[in-house]
Amino acid sequence: MFDLLANAIVAGLLLGGFYAAVTVGLSIAFGFLDIVNIAHPGFIMLGAFAAWFANDQWGIDPIVAGVLFTPIFFVAGAIVYRVYHVSFERRGDAGLRGLAFFFGVLFLTEVVLLLLFSADYRGVDMPYLETMIGAGPVAVPLRMVVPFLVSLAMFAVLQLAFNRTFLGRAIRAVSQDQLALRLMAANPVRVKEIAFGIAVATASVAGALLLTIAPIDPSMGRDYIGRVFAIAVLGGLGSLTGTLLAAITLGVAESLTATFYGPSWSPAVAFGALLIALVVRPSGLLGR
Amino acid sequence: MPISAPRLVVEGLSAGYGAVRALEDVTLSLEPGETVALLGTSGNGKSTLINAIMGLVRPRAGAVYLEEDGRRTALAGSRTEAIADLGLALVPEGRRLFPKLTVEENLLLGAYRGAARALRVDRIAECFDAFPVLKDRRRQLAGNMSGGEQQMLALARALMSAPRILLVDEPSVGLAPILVARMIDTIAAVKERYRLSVLMAEQNFHQAVRIADRGYVLVHGRIEFEGRTANELRNSELVRTYYLGT
Repeated sequence: MFDLLANAIVAGLLLGGFYAAVTVGLSIAFGFLDIVNIAHPGFIMLGAFAAWFANDQWGIDPIVAGVLFTPIFFVAGAIVYRVYHVSFERRGDAGLRGLAFFFGVLFLTEVVLLLLFSADYRGVDMPYLETMIGAGPVAVPLRMVVPFLVSLAMFAVLQLAFNRTFLGRAIRAVSQDQLALRLMAANPVRVKEIAFGIAVATASVAGALLLTIAPIDPSMGRDYIGRVFAIAVLGGLGSLTGTLLAAITLGVAESLTATFYGPSWSPAVAFGALLIALVVRPSGLLGR
Repeated sequence: MPISAPRLVVEGLSAGYGAVRALEDVTLSLEPGETVALLGTSGNGKSTLINAIMGLVRPRAGAVYLEEDGRRTALAGSRTEAIADLGLALVPEGRRLFPKLTVEENLLLGAYRGAARALRVDRIAECFDAFPVLKDRRRQLAGNMSGGEQQMLALARALMSAPRILLVDEPSVGLAPILVARMIDTIAAVKERYRLSVLMAEQNFHQAVRIADRGYVLVHGRIEFEGRTANELRNSELVRTYYLGT
């Protein structure tokens, strides 16, 4: 019983670390920029298939590929933001039409992946991932540990970038008062463009982590929409530390539920936690 | 140390929102090292003028430019961020802080422009020196501070950009009378310390004239009176009748 509990908690922590990587791009777009980027899971699937392709064709480790592709995803994100800005945001139409736009982008990514890769499951076979490590009764595969560590590293880099650089502070300020930001000699559209590029670049890494953990198929992104929004809101919009905490909390809760009540209950955990949070603490764990 | 600020010149400026004419043929100048008051009650165009200088309001006619070493840099038509980058800082009406960032982060954002970044460590120390309350609250969110503290932070944030020209829009609004006097004194003090030129829009005539070298009175978007000294402003017939209501 204790062994089961300990294993479930550790597995949940690792899963939560991965969820954090999946959510952070949405936290940036939604929390810092007020852009409800419902297409984020679609970008993650693009990242996952790009990493799979690199692994399949050139034998590159998927996580290395995910990191190498971040500049491409950054540019793609900046372009998507430009289109969104010119078509909706500048006209003050960002609400419902913007949401529809990103919904369209989500379907577009899915269809493109289906046409390119068909609906089959794809996985990577890296022998080192099957190695089990552990202490005492707890044992976990590197398949889970490596994504957890990569996710933490990505969070550390992002925290430094957003808290310690001029551009990072401008990104955190841009949705609070654009006019004031212009008075500080910063161009808000440019600031948001870079921030959205960063948000999409995280999808390249998160997609590679997803591929590392389990086989992928093009429609998988949809399974994550609810979960990433739940984590972003639960953590508190505008706080990356909150996102990390919420992701780990949810990972542990899901893992415990799956272990003791059966895996079919675990999707209910995300929305249960979200509902409770919205009632008890609407600003999220660390929301301001 | 000689004052190296550029001259700010406004020439024949007209601006308006739709059919409303907020500014009508306004001509004025701000010489290096001067404190000039823009006087007039609310709704007479003071804020519109300040906003037009900063590129936040697009003028219908006229020019705004900086003059330095015989060179002219046109401001009208430029983007606000480009104007700010030239060394014009505005302490805006309503302060417009970033409420969910800390005091320190607000100050550091003030130093965003290229020329100010290298100076940020010294400047922030000077700001904490001049406004000890900001130092005590450096980790607090700007939105949680009192009105007087927020006004100080707004001024300090503008100074972080190492400006050469400081525009201040209604620094007294929402402050208790004793804080108004202190704020006006502070503006005079930082002007001396950093050798700035200051253009200040203010409804509170007595307070503004206390530190102004000279001033303009705006009535319905026009300059109705120009006081070449503070005394000329105090003794003006127009100020007495239209403005002070005596």
